[in-house]
Formats: sequence, C-alpha cells, structure tokens
Amino acid sequence: MYLYQLSIEDWWKDLKDTFVLNFIADDRYMLLVKGLGNTFLVTLGATFLGIILGVLVALVRSTYDKNISDMRPGFGKGFLIVLNKIASAYLTVIRGTPMLVQLMIAYFVIFVSIAQHKTIVAIIAFGINSGAYVAEIIRSGIMSIDPGQFEAGRSLGFNYAQTMLYIIIPQALKNVLPALANEFIVLIKETSVSCYIGLHDLTKGGEIIRSRTYTAFMPLLAVAIIYLVIVMFFTKLVGILERRLRNSER
Amino acid sequence: MSADHLISVKDLKKYYNGGAIKALDGVSIDIDKGEVVVIIGPSGSGKSTLLRSLNLLEIPTSGTITFEGTDITSKGNDINKFRQKMGMVFQHFNLFPHLTILNNMTLAPRKLKHESHEESEKFARELLNKVALGDRADAYPSQLSGGQKQRIAIVRALAMRPDVLLFDEPTSALDPEMVGEVLDVMKDLAREGMTMVVVTHEMGFAREVGDRIIFMDEGRIVVEGTPAEIFGQTDNERLKTFLAKVL
Ligand SMILES: Nc1ncnc2c1ncn2[C@@H]1O[C@H](COP(=O)(O)OP(=O)(O)OP(=O)(O)O)[C@@H](O)[C@H]1O
Ligand SMILES: [Mg+2]
Repeated sequence: MYLYQLSIEDWWKDLKDTFVLNFIADDRYMLLVKGLGNTFLVTLGATFLGIILGVLVALVRSTYDKNISDMRPGFGKGFLIVLNKIASAYLTVIRGTPMLVQLMIAYFVIFVSIAQHKTIVAIIAFGINSGAYVAEIIRSGIMSIDPGQFEAGRSLGFNYAQTMLYIIIPQALKNVLPALANEFIVLIKETSVSCYIGLHDLTKGGEIIRSRTYTAFMPLLAVAIIYLVIVMFFTKLVGILERRLRNSER
Repeated sequence: MSADHLISVKDLKKYYNGGAIKALDGVSIDIDKGEVVVIIGPSGSGKSTLLRSLNLLEIPTSGTITFEGTDITSKGNDINKFRQKMGMVFQHFNLFPHLTILNNMTLAPRKLKHESHEESEKFARELLNKVALGDRADAYPSQLSGGQKQRIAIVRALAMRPDVLLFDEPTSALDPEMVGEVLDVMKDLAREGMTMVVVTHEMGFAREVGDRIIFMDEGRIVVEGTPAEIFGQTDNERLKTFLAKVL
C-alpha cells in the first residue's frame, strides 16, 4: 500500500518536473508561441499567394478549355496556347513532386540570395505549391457555374474579362469557399516541414525544446496537441461556413 | 435601303459539325424600329440560333448582320458596344444569384456606361415600379418566383436602355399561372414602341402583339407575314402541320 502510493507520487512529481523543465524553465513555452506565430504567418501568406496564383491559373485553364476551339488563328490564340502550356506544366510539376523537395529547392537553389528571410522563402514555396491545388479547386468552381450566367453577362455588353470578374469568379469563389478553407487547414499541417530549412515554426519550436532538455515526449506531444486543436477549431468553422452558405442559397 | 432598318440579316448560315447540321441555312430578314417580330417553328428549326446570332452569342458561319447601319459580323467591330444596345431575355432568366435585384440591374449601367450609383439606381427603381416589383429591390433572385424573376430579367435588360430586346422563349420555363404576368409586361413594352424579337410558343401572344410572324423550319424562313396571314388561311403544308399541333 505504502509502496504504491510512493510510486504514484514519484510519477506525478516526475511529470511535473519534466513539464517545468520543458515549458516553464527559461520561458521555453515562448519557443512554441513564437513557432505558432510563424506557422500562422507562413500559412496565411501561402494561402493568400496560393489563391492569387490559383485564380490566375484557373482563369487561363478554363478560358482555354472554353474558347480555344472557336478562336480564329492569330496572336491571341497563340498567346493563350502558350499560357495554357505554362499553366499545365506548373500543375504537373508542382503536383508531381514532394512539397519538401520543392521547399528545399526554393531555399537552397532558387532563393539563395534571400535565404536569411526564411519566412518569405517558405511563404513563396508553400504559396506556389498551394496555388496548384487551389487552381484546380477554382477551376471546378468556374466550370460549375451555369453557362447561362456567362451568356447573360456577355449579352449585357460585358467583355470576357469583365464577365469573369463581375459575374463568374464571385460565384465560383463562393461555391468553393469551403474547399479553399480546407486547403488552408491542410496547409497549417503541411508547413511543419519548413523546419527542414530551419524556419522556427511550431514544429521547430518543439524540436528546439527537445534538443535542449533531452526529453522528446512532452514537447512533441504538446506540438501535436496544438496542431490538433487548431485544425479541429478551423474544421468546425468550415462546417459552420458550409451551413451558412447552404442556407443563403435558399 | 438596308440602312433604314434597325436590323438587317442577309443570307445567314450557321453550320455545326462541318456542315452536317445546318442550324441556319440562309436566313434573310429585316427588322424595323418599333416592330414586334415573333419567330415560331418546331423544335430544332433554328429559332434560338437565329435570335442568338443577332447579338453574336452564336458566331454565324456566313452571312451578314447589319445593326443600325453597321455590319456587326465584320472583324474589327467591337461587338460589346452593340450588345449594350441589344437586350436579351433568356428562357431560364439567368439572373445573377450573388447580387441583389437592384445590383443585377445597375451592374452593367455602372460598369459599362459609367452611370453614377444614384443615376443607375433611380432608373432601376423606376423600372421596378413599372413591373410592380418596387418592393423587391433588395431581395436576392433566389427569393423570387419564376414570373418575378423573368420580369426582373426584362427590366435588367431595359436598364441599359437598349434599342431592341431579344426574347428566347421567355415563358417556357414558367408555371402556367405565371405566364400571364410576364406576357403583360411584354405587351406593355410593345405598346410603348419597343422593338422586340420574340421566339415563343405562345400563339395568343404572337397573334395579339406580333406585327410580323416568321415561321421557321429546318433552318429556313418558310413563311413570313402578319398574324392574320399566318393564322388565317394558309396554303403552306408545313405551317399547317405546325399550327395544327400547337393551336
Ligand atoms: N452547339 C450545337 N452543336 C450542334 N448542334 C447544335 C448546336 N446548337 C444547336 N444545334 C442544332 O441546331 C439546330 C437548331 O437549333 P435551335 O436551338 O436553334 O432550335 P430551336 O428552333 O430553338 O429549337 P427549340 O424550340 O427546341 O428551342 C438543332 O438541330 C440543334 O440540334
Ligand atoms: Mg430554342
């Protein structure tokens, strides 16, 4: 009886000590806080860049699919063919190679000159990567819009670009908003590979603690829990968003 | 003198599949200002194709369309400018679901004619009152009935102050009890002197409002005449067969 109580007390004290060692001593929890901040910064920046790239690529791809067969030969047609080739190549390469390899190429090869700005390199690398997935989401959104919407726009006198801008894109974005939000959630987790380029994100925060305290369990568990809570929170938010959007359709 | 006509169509052809399908097979027609031209004919006869060619939603294979003295089919003409003066009303309304009724109506005048907010809104509200929907300005299209949607589609086109309105079966997608309210709006417009080209299966409307009726079959105009001529004694077998089916 006595022995048992002693061991549980020991266990509890041990736990407390490790906790203090990993998070309280030297304000180590700040390593996680700072990392979390960078994780959000990279995720938000990459989402923003990804949506801009995604819209552009989706526009090229759907303009090509819709119009190429009716276009007269000429500069415009040639230009569109070239743009479409570039867009297809971009999608193939980005979706056909691992994110980590892309990130390392960005950091060690392409952006060597700005390598000290790890956050910026990460935003660019993840943004370019995310853009490829966002492009296909938005393209499906554009394709899902009734062609009558396009005709109504053109019949009022809007040109192709204006019709896209004022009529098609707003509806397409609204339709794919939940899918875009999911892309953001995926990105939160995916940015954890940026600790490979030494960026102090959330994962790296846990890594630093582990290397200083020589205890792996607690810092890594904490990192996992923080990711989980954030992802669950945003997933819930997307659920609410989806319900709102569905209701507004009525 | 073709310049005297509002729209003048000459030998218009529209082929699909390299000529296997002749949606339009040599159509010529003149439309004058203030005229109401009704196009009738069996399914697949090319009515929609003709109507949609008038504002180049369909690009004709050959032939010319002259609108207000300009050949709009010739390269180098900015079709968007002409479309601003040719309103179109579709079978399925095609209102913009992400915009309020008011914004559906003011978007094009503001962006294309650079009307101010106040200016475009004032005119839009006048038009809404005319079709008895003045209280629905801030509603969204999904909150309206089919008949209301089509009345909005008509005034959305009118908000651009067009010189002609093109209708492609404007009442075909409506529940029967809502057909009347849309036809009434169209009758009012005709009375006010609006030039209209109307594809419809509503023979009552054609007879009552049409100045001229065009009967199409297999991509050609088969008979053309006043309502009295079309609905009176006709010796054209195809027209007879068609009317026997729809009347
Ligand atoms: N995009 C297209 N590709 C191939 N054939 C087409 C296309 N559009 C129309 N057609 C064909 O052209 C012909 C004329 O079609 P159109 O839609 O003008 O007929 P319509 O008189 O309006 O018929 P409805 O009363 O059914 O609306 C039809 O045979 C149709 O199948
Ligand atoms: Mg038709």
